[in-house]
Amino acid sequence: MKGIKDQIKTYRCLNCGWTSLFSETESMPDHCPNCLSGIHVEDEEENECGGILEPVGIWVRTEKEWEIVQRCQFCGEMRTVPVTEKDNRIKILSIASKPISSPPFPVERIEELTRIMGGSGDTGGKQK
Amino acid sequence: MNRENKKRKYDKKYYRTHPCTDSFTCKICGWPVVSAGAGTNHRNHCPNCLYSIHLDNEPGDRESECHGRMEPIGVWVRKNGEWAIIHRCIRCGKISSNRVAADDNPMKLMALAMRPFGSSVISRNEIREMTLSMEER
Repeated sequence: MKGIKDQIKTYRCLNCGWTSLFSETESMPDHCPNCLSGIHVEDEEENECGGILEPVGIWVRTEKEWEIVQRCQFCGEMRTVPVTEKDNRIKILSIASKPISSPPFPVERIEELTRIMGGSGDTGGKQK
Repeated sequence: MNRENKKRKYDKKYYRTHPCTDSFTCKICGWPVVSAGAGTNHRNHCPNCLYSIHLDNEPGDRESECHGRMEPIGVWVRKNGEWAIIHRCIRCGKISSNRVAADDNPMKLMALAMRPFGSSVISRNEIREMTLSMEER
């Protein structure tokens, strides 16, 4: 399913075509280290799906571990996979910054908006 | 039992096609939540703390027996450019995605989106090394 060729631990991504090598002791990754996509083999009710799991978000689980939130393009189910050391750092940062680049409200007004809601929004800039 | 109540009880997809106008008090932060002002007919989470409760298996069926708290773990951008909150059930681990409502706390939303940038998994040093290695010939 995940492109295992001749048992020599190569992982070939079916989404971006990236090939990565893994030593005997390492376990096969559940997502591509380059594009962070995976294959949705089966859903929660154990039905086969086969859609591409596209990375949509980053979950900061604890200070030290992150997980990638993936969403199946075919059935829409979401799941998380832990970030590994081999994962493409730039891709991770790109996914994490996507929401910030298209905010649902003007970012400049965030302090004002939060004050209306009764909170205190500090957007930095130390002069007070 | 009148017809509407009967429908609500036996039609599994009642809340999928009908607006839910119930008011509730948030079980996590105690915020009084009314159905008005969300910009949607299906309010899903508390506009103050963004937590949700695991009630549905499929949208609107109210079939889940878990009833765990659903913690907001992140936001993502849908194809049409609007944000959706990713919720994860603390009890069973189910992950679901929900549109943001018009009156959601903008600061909480922004904090969710900014969370990865305050964590040390990808440290500033690592980014500096990355840029250096890219600049060098």
